Amino acid sequence: MSATSTTPKWLLQHEVGLCPCACIGKRRKGGVIEKTTSGAAALLRQTLFSEDVAGERGLLQRLDPRVKVLSLLGLLVVTADLRHIPVLLGMYAGTLALAAASKLRLSFFVKRVWLFIPVFTGVVVLPATLNVVTHGDIVVPLGTWFGHHLGLTEQGLRSAGLVVTRVATSISLVVLLTISTPWAKLLAALRALRAPRLLILVLGMAYRYLFLLLNAVTDMYVARRARTVAGATDATSGRLLVAASAGALFGKAQTLAEEVHLAMVARGYAGDARSVTAFRMRLLDAAFVLACVAAAVAAVGVDRLLGR
Amino acid sequence: MTVSDADMPTADDALLIVEGASYSYLDRFPALDDVSMSVQSGEKVALLGANGCGKSTLLKVLAGLLFPDRGRYTAFAAHVTEDGLEDAQFARGFRSRVGVVFQNSEAQVFSPTVREEIAFGPLNMGLERDEIAERVDDSLAMLDILDLADRAPYQLSGGQKKRVAIASVLVMNPDVLLLDEPTATLDARTQDWLIDLLVELNAAGKTIVLATHDLNTLDRLADRCIVFSEDHRVATDGPTHRVLRDQDLLAAVNLVRAGSRSPRLAAGWPLPS
Repeated sequence: MSATSTTPKWLLQHEVGLCPCACIGKRRKGGVIEKTTSGAAALLRQTLFSEDVAGERGLLQRLDPRVKVLSLLGLLVVTADLRHIPVLLGMYAGTLALAAASKLRLSFFVKRVWLFIPVFTGVVVLPATLNVVTHGDIVVPLGTWFGHHLGLTEQGLRSAGLVVTRVATSISLVVLLTISTPWAKLLAALRALRAPRLLILVLGMAYRYLFLLLNAVTDMYVARRARTVAGATDATSGRLLVAASAGALFGKAQTLAEEVHLAMVARGYAGDARSVTAFRMRLLDAAFVLACVAAAVAAVGVDRLLGR
Repeated sequence: MTVSDADMPTADDALLIVEGASYSYLDRFPALDDVSMSVQSGEKVALLGANGCGKSTLLKVLAGLLFPDRGRYTAFAAHVTEDGLEDAQFARGFRSRVGVVFQNSEAQVFSPTVREEIAFGPLNMGLERDEIAERVDDSLAMLDILDLADRAPYQLSGGQKKRVAIASVLVMNPDVLLLDEPTATLDARTQDWLIDLLVELNAAGKTIVLATHDLNTLDRLADRCIVFSEDHRVATDGPTHRVLRDQDLLAAVNLVRAGSRSPRLAAGWPLPS
C-alpha cells in the first residue's frame, strides 16, 4: 500500500488554526459529555469510599455477613410492622448508634438516607396530608378552593410522619448492611443463606459489568471530547450523542459479556458464587443477634402498648 | 530446547490435536478453514499470523471455549465437545489442566478485588480454603503484586492487570498454558519478565501455546511456529529458526513487508542453523 497514492492532499497541508491568537473566548458550561465523565468519576469515588468503609474495623464490619444479613433483615420486617412514630424514631436512633459504632461518618450516613426520602416518599405522602384526601382536623389552613377549606390535617400529617420515619429507618438498615459489607461477601452470604443461584449470578454479573461499562463510557466520551473543537453541545446533538453512545455501548456490552463469560468458564465457573472468606460465627455475632432480637421485641412490645 | 525438522511432533504422541477444524463467527465470517495442528507435552508453540487470521479463535478452540463447525479437537486423549464439557467431572478435569490468558485483561479481571480474582479458579476447582489461601499468596508474591491484593481491578494499570490475569491462571497450576498476544501492551521490562517466566514454566514441564505476531521475542518464546495465512489456513508448521528465515513466507502471510527482513535478521542476530 503506497502512502502517496492514498493520502488525500488536504491531509498533507497545514490546517488553518481556528484561533491562532490567545484571545479569550466565550466560557461555556459542561454539556452531556462533561456531566457523564464527571458522573462516572464521582461513582468510582463513591465506590472507593464504600470499600474503605467496608474495610474499617467497626462493629458491623467485624460481624459474620450471614448474621448481619439475617439480623438487619429481621429488623427491617419489624420496622415495617411498627405503627407509632416515637417507636420508629427509637429504631432510627438505633441505626444511628450502629452507624457510629461501625465508624461511619454520621453526617454522610444521614445525608445518604435523607437524600432519597423526599424523592421517593414525598410524592406519595404529600397529597395524603391534605384534608381533601385524609379527612380530619385541619391544623395548618392553606385557604379555600372552590368554596372549600383546604389545609393539612393532623391525621394526614401523622400518617405522612409514620411513612417517612418508617422509610428512613428501613433505608438506614439497608444502607448499614450494604456499606459495611464488601459486595463479594454480601453475595456469598446470600448464597450461604440459600438465596436463588440465578439471583446471585445476576447481581454478581451486574456489579462486574458496571465498572467495565463505566470505563467504556468514560473512554467513549473522553475520545469524543478530544475531538470536539466547536462550542458547547446543544440539546439536540446532546440527545443524538446519548442515543448513539447507548447503541454503541449495547454492542460493546454484548462483546464484553461474552468475553467475561468465556474467561469465567475457562477457570471452571459453573454458576456458583464462592468467596475466599470462610464465614465463622463468633461470640460477637451471637451477642449481636441477641441484641437485635431484644431490640425487636422491645420495639414491638412498646408499639403494642401504645395501642393500634 | 531447539526443535529440528526431524524432531517435529507427530499426531500420535500429541497432547492437543486439532483435525480439519473450521469455524465461522455468526456463520458468515470465517475464522478457521480446515486447520489441523497438534501440540506435544512440554512444547513451546507459537501461532503466528497477521491480524484477523484466526489465531485467537484457535486458542479458544484449544481452551474448549469455542467448538469447530467442522473437524474435531482432542485433548489429553479425549474428544472435546460442547456436550462433553457439560459433564461436570470432565469439565473440571479439562479446565484445571488448560489455563488461558486472554488478550484483553480487562475482560479476564472481573472480581471485586485482586485476591478474589486470583482465588476464583481454585475456588471453582473445589480446593480446600487453606490451600487456596496459600496458592493465592504464593502467586501474588511470584508476580510481585502482593501490594495490589486488596485493590479493585479498575484501579490497576494495563501491566498490573496483565500480571493479575496471569496469576489468576497460574494459581490453578495448569499443564497447558494458552496465551493470546502475551507481550502486547507490555513495557520492555515487563515483557522480559514475562518471557523469563514462560521459559521457566516450560522448563518445568508446562506446555505453552501462544498467539502472537511479534517476531522479536519469538526465538525465546517458541520452539515451533504454526503460521496462519490471511485466508485462515495453516501456511506452514515448523521450527522457529526455519520459519524466521523464510522471508517469502513471512511476507506472504503479512508478518513482514515484502522485501524487508525479519526483525532478528535485520538486527544482525545469528539464527541457529
